[in-house]
This record gives sequence, C-alpha cells and structure tokens, in this order.
Amino acid sequence: MIQEKVRATVSTTCNQIDRPWHVGNNEKVCQQKVAEAEVESFRKDLGPFVVAAETTRMAMVFTDATKPDNPIIFANDSFLSLSGYDREEVLGKNFNFLIAHGADAEALTRIKSEFEGSSGSGAEVLCRREDGGEFWTDVFISPVRDEGGDIVQYFASFVDLTKHKEDEAQSKMLIDELNHRVKNTLSTVQSIVWQTLRSPSDPKVVRESIESRLFALSRSHDLLTREKWESAGLLDIVHDALEPFGVSGGRADRIAVKGENIRFPPKSALALGIAFNELATNAVKYGAFSNAAGSILIEWTMETTPTGQRLLLNWEEKDGPPVTPPAHKGFGSRVIERGLAHELEGTIHLDYRPDGLVCTMDIPLLRGTRDG
Amino acid sequence: MDKLLSGRRVLVVEDEMLVLIMIEDMLADLGCTSVTSAATVDKALALTNAQVFDAAILDINLNGHDSHPVAEALSARGVPFVYSTGNTDHGSRNGYSGRPVLKKPFKFEELVAILTRFKLAPVER
Repeated sequence: MIQEKVRATVSTTCNQIDRPWHVGNNEKVCQQKVAEAEVESFRKDLGPFVVAAETTRMAMVFTDATKPDNPIIFANDSFLSLSGYDREEVLGKNFNFLIAHGADAEALTRIKSEFEGSSGSGAEVLCRREDGGEFWTDVFISPVRDEGGDIVQYFASFVDLTKHKEDEAQSKMLIDELNHRVKNTLSTVQSIVWQTLRSPSDPKVVRESIESRLFALSRSHDLLTREKWESAGLLDIVHDALEPFGVSGGRADRIAVKGENIRFPPKSALALGIAFNELATNAVKYGAFSNAAGSILIEWTMETTPTGQRLLLNWEEKDGPPVTPPAHKGFGSRVIERGLAHELEGTIHLDYRPDGLVCTMDIPLLRGTRDG
Repeated sequence: MDKLLSGRRVLVVEDEMLVLIMIEDMLADLGCTSVTSAATVDKALALTNAQVFDAAILDINLNGHDSHPVAEALSARGVPFVYSTGNTDHGSRNGYSGRPVLKKPFKFEELVAILTRFKLAPVER
C-alpha cells in the first residue's frame, strides 16, 4: 500500500518534468526515480531486515514482481561489488540484464524456472560484470508474497562461483595431466620390459635389469615429487641416480661430481635420471666400478652460444679394466646416444676409450632452466 | 619374404625417449630400416617438409604442445599416419579426423593391424 502511494507520487513528478523531445530518456529517469522511491518504502516496511540485507556479505537484490519486466528495486553493497555496477545502473533494470550472453536461451530458461520456483536448487548462471568481465554465480530466487498471497516481489541471492569454477578447472587439468602421465609411464615401463626381454638372458638377470630401471624411474619421480614437479637440479638428478651405486656410501670417494645445480623441467629430469642409471649400471658391469680401483668424474659447465645456453657434460671413467667397444648396441647405449639425444635435442657421444668410457653430452638449455 | 615395412621410410613423432625406442624396435621387427624421429612440433614439421615418408606415427601431445600442425602437414602431403596418445578423452576435444588412434600403452599387434590397413603402395625398386 505504501508502495502504491509512492509510485503515484513519483508518477506525478515525472509527468511534470516530461519534455516531448526527450521522452525516451525521461522515461528512464522516471523508472529510476520510481525504483529509488520504492526502495525507500521498502526500507520503511522492513526496518532491520533491510539493514541486514544491505550489510550481509551475500550479494542480493529484490525485484518488483508486479511490473511486467520485473525490475530490480533493491541491490545491496555485496551485489554491487560482485557485479561492479553502481546502484543507479542496476535499479530499474530487468533482472536478466546480468546474464553474460543475453541470447543464452538456456540461462534464461534456468532463471525463468528459478523464478517459477520449479528448480529448488538455484540456477548456475554466467553473469557479466560492469567492466565486461564474466563471473559464474548460483542464483537463488524466492517470491515475497503480500497478505493476500500474491507475489509482490522476488528476492534473489547470489553465490559467487568464480573461485569454485577456477578450482574445478584446475583440478580437471590436474586429473587430465595425471592420466596422461600415468599412461606415458605405463608406456615407458612397457618399453623397459620389451627392451630387456629382447636380449636373451636368464630370468634372474632379466628381473634385475627390469627392477633396476623401474627403481631408477621411481627415484626420479621421488625427486620430482619433492620439487613439486616443477623442475629438478642436475646435481640432485645425478646424486639420486647414483645413490644405489654407492655415491654416498662405499664408493663415495671414487665418484666426483662437479657442476652447478642447473634446473631441468620434469620430463628432461626423468630422461637424465634414466640415462645416468644406465651409465652407472654399465660402470658396475664392465667399467670403473667393476674393479676396486676405478673412479668416475662427472663434470659439467654451461656455455653461451649464439643459439642460447648449452650444457656440456663429461662422464669420464678411469682406472677400470681395459675397455673394448661392445659388439652390439645394448639398451643402455641406445637410451643414452639415441634416446636422450632425441628427447633433449642434443648430441650425446659414447667413447669406449681403452682406459675408460667417456660420455659427452652437449644439450641445449631452454630459457628458464637455469637456477637463478 | 618381404615384411610389411621393408624398404619403407617411417616418421615417428614422439617425445618420450623410451617409447620412441620401443616403437623403433617394433618397426624394425616389421622390416623397417629407415626410421626418422622428432620430439618437437618444429622438428617434425621441418622433417615433413624436407623428406618423403611412407607412413608416420604421431604423438598428439608433445611435451604439452598439440601436434596438430604436424597432422595437417602430413595430411597435405598424403602421408598416412596413426595418432598415439596417452590421453583418454582426447577424441571429444578436437576429434581425430577419422585417423586411427593408438592409445598408450599399445600392443605391437595393434600397430601392425593399423599399418596393414594403410595398404601402402608397392615399393619402387
């Protein structure tokens, strides 16, 4: 009743200020004035509840259900900060102006059924901010009825889903990435089994070499997990790969590692871990670690070339038994010379010198792989 | 007797070194002695433009990069190819354009079946 009175008053005012050459604009101004007046009456009607609605952190609006286009007649501060609009821009507007893609029939249907009370669970809607940005929100709408049971207003509250949607996208990405990684790891394991079984050996040897390679993979995974799968340092990669071969145990004084802890992305780190495991395995079987006197020097530097930075690494064995080049290229040498060179797009060379194996790596460093 | 890939030149685009080595061995078992490999989109494109291949195996995801440009280059040159992928739902994203797909890990027999369906023309001698 109070509203009716207010509306009548405002209408009169509007008629007075009406100018024929500005009809459209004035109508707008008029609607706004009506809306503002209605909020005032609203404030009088509901007292403390209006204060609560104005100050709550939940974004909310009221609309006038008695008007054909269901205009917004109240918007609280939370709603204004969520949507980025000024109060004057919102009041008097049809509720649907918020929808990001005005022609999105599906969103309109969801909102319509929310107004009709048939959804009961809120409607997920992509809304448009004043600055053009978009945000996801859950809209809950309930009717406000007068004494006669007629719907006079709608009360709509908004739950900002932006963070939720971001988290959802992030975890979907992580799951996809994990799936991809698992499948690739399974392929890698398949390759290890396939390769190991190609050379005829007795089952114990086959089991040991499959295990040795799986454990090398596993150690690289551990290292990368400690580093949150961002990158791994070359010192750590070498250390962890040589751990089972006594780098910090019985053979500690026979291994020298010299170089900066250059960072490599996860995939390269895994490949390097596998390669160093193959080199160390070879050293134990045939090289510097197959007798009591041999030693290994692993040393690297970085070089700046016109095409970018490169890693130059030397794995040098000495004082082992005399070396003769193998008759056939085994899994280890293929992984190192072919596989690692391919994956890191570098040049790797195995030199079977009589006084000890020398492996040289010349690998391009991608930007950002170096530890600051 | 000639094997399926005797005298053939095959391009393998794959970024996992161990998987590449296994594919090379599978192809070698089929008589292929000329396997060229690439781990990146750029290198694969350079190879596709510079050399002639009878068939190709193309990993969809190369260290996070979509290998689609390589697929286009291969299609343009009429090189039959099979996708390989560790993804389980990739088909829904951009489709495989009717190309065969090997889901990693895949069996030797699956690769053989697909390469057989390519019905490669007789090798010129």
